[in-house]
Amino acid sequence: MRLATLVRWAVLALILAIVFVPMYWIVVTSFKTGRQILLSQNVYAPEPFTIENYLYLFEESRFALWFRNSAITATASTLLSLLIGTAGAYALTRLRFPGRRTLGAVVLVTYLVPPGLMFIPLYQTFIKIGYTDSLGTLILAYPTFLVPFVTWLLMGFFRSIPRQLEEAALVDGATRVQALVHVVLPLAAPGLLAAGLFCFTLSWNEFLYALIFIADDSLKTLPVGLSEFVVSDFAFWGQLMAAAALASLPVIVVYIYLHKYMVQGLTAGAVKG
Amino acid sequence: MLTDRHREQLLGYTMIAPVAIFLAALVAYPFLSAIYLSLTEKIVGYPAHFVGLRNYANLLDSGRFRIVAWNSAVFTVASIAVKLVIGMAMALALHQVVRGNQFIRGILLLPWIIPTVVIALTWKWLLDLFRGLVNVTLIDVGVVKSGVHWLGDPSLAMLSVVMANIWRGFPFFGVSFLAALQTVPQELYDAADVDGAGSWQKFWRITLPSIKSVVAVVTLLSTIVTLNDFNIVFIMTRGGPGAATHIFATYSYELGIMSQRWGVAMAASMASLPLVALLIVGVVRYLHREEE
Repeated sequence: MRLATLVRWAVLALILAIVFVPMYWIVVTSFKTGRQILLSQNVYAPEPFTIENYLYLFEESRFALWFRNSAITATASTLLSLLIGTAGAYALTRLRFPGRRTLGAVVLVTYLVPPGLMFIPLYQTFIKIGYTDSLGTLILAYPTFLVPFVTWLLMGFFRSIPRQLEEAALVDGATRVQALVHVVLPLAAPGLLAAGLFCFTLSWNEFLYALIFIADDSLKTLPVGLSEFVVSDFAFWGQLMAAAALASLPVIVVYIYLHKYMVQGLTAGAVKG
Repeated sequence: MLTDRHREQLLGYTMIAPVAIFLAALVAYPFLSAIYLSLTEKIVGYPAHFVGLRNYANLLDSGRFRIVAWNSAVFTVASIAVKLVIGMAMALALHQVVRGNQFIRGILLLPWIIPTVVIALTWKWLLDLFRGLVNVTLIDVGVVKSGVHWLGDPSLAMLSVVMANIWRGFPFFGVSFLAALQTVPQELYDAADVDGAGSWQKFWRITLPSIKSVVAVVTLLSTIVTLNDFNIVFIMTRGGPGAATHIFATYSYELGIMSQRWGVAMAASMASLPLVALLIVGVVRYLHREEE
């Protein structure tokens, strides 16, 4: 084997190991007993093996409630964003009207404004209109970054669909809206799916807005619930890592489907790190 | 009677209206009112009064804000520099060794997919003083005698949050670079081989110039996000110990949410705006160029 090939495999193995270790630590910890963790016994493997941490989550914590809140919020904000964003993307790529280019640029710019800069201003606005502390607050807040994202991603997909197909439908007497529903959307289905799955993942993982906008304990989402497991540098790490594993599961499942669209999205420059 | 042209315009405005109204109400309005509020002083129970640039002047004078600005710069530059190097190594290794290996690529992207909160909590636990995997392993191997204070020592705390951030972010760099590498024509390398160029020369003369716009966009996007990061620092250290890892967003949180000093909090939120605006202009120019 050539030296260069060997070096490349070594680099790859090292990177895989770096990615693997923290995930291994989540899983291993989640199957340890509290005593084993406290006394640092058998650090590298769960012996004795237990599922008590997972049982605890469902029997004695509000994990199921947080899970439900996250599911409702992520699903609703994804659907809302897809609806608004798809219409917007179609208008911006296919219809000619004054101000179109400017609006396209505005969408891109809003997509790039980071939540770390927006959370206090947005919180103030929600206080002013008297709408904080509801899942609805988050369902309205998440589309502030999801709508520009969906619009931007789908503009790329719509551009790749030949205009002639749509024009043929128009010549045959279809209206614009009929052509959109029956010709363009079916062809853009992979794009819609990818956009939806990305939106779901981004909403599911969102932490900052959920932390600030929601005070009611029964309305907290998973990331916020998880973060509150840690009380002044002390945590029940077994239960917490079990919760971490379960909280990651839905997005990993989504990702298995999303995977093949991912690289397409990345090369379009539509997804940020 | 409407002409076709007018009908198309009307439909266009109708379809873009929800996006426009939504972004106007929940992005533009909050943003503009934040700029106004940053020029006022608001005390609970009294109406806000205009103070001009005083909040900004106070920020610039405050030692804490200067620490925050410096920390944000260190956090961002260190994270991105290492992500560039590891991401490039990952892309080159994947491209040459296992061309199109979807499975390995899939595994490598996992850190980018799982919730950041999970990552931050896991790293906090990995670096736990007494029972974390890192310290236990270092002691077992004999590198150190007693646990390293990863999150308790000011300089190590910054290193720790940077490590967690790199772990989360480098796969995105790697996969983006890989996608770009796959568009570089093989003929360029064949021609270089004929001329007797070495691997190092080929990397600097062919590979890097061919993918430089992707590298630029990814770096710019990541800089915008990292400069305003919140989750990793908030969960791992809350900005501490002292203010050793305090960055822009955790500082805005402290002023706005903890102390309810809205005027200064708005000013702090807007502090990174000039730089962010420049970076956004950079990205927009790159992406628009590619579109045409």
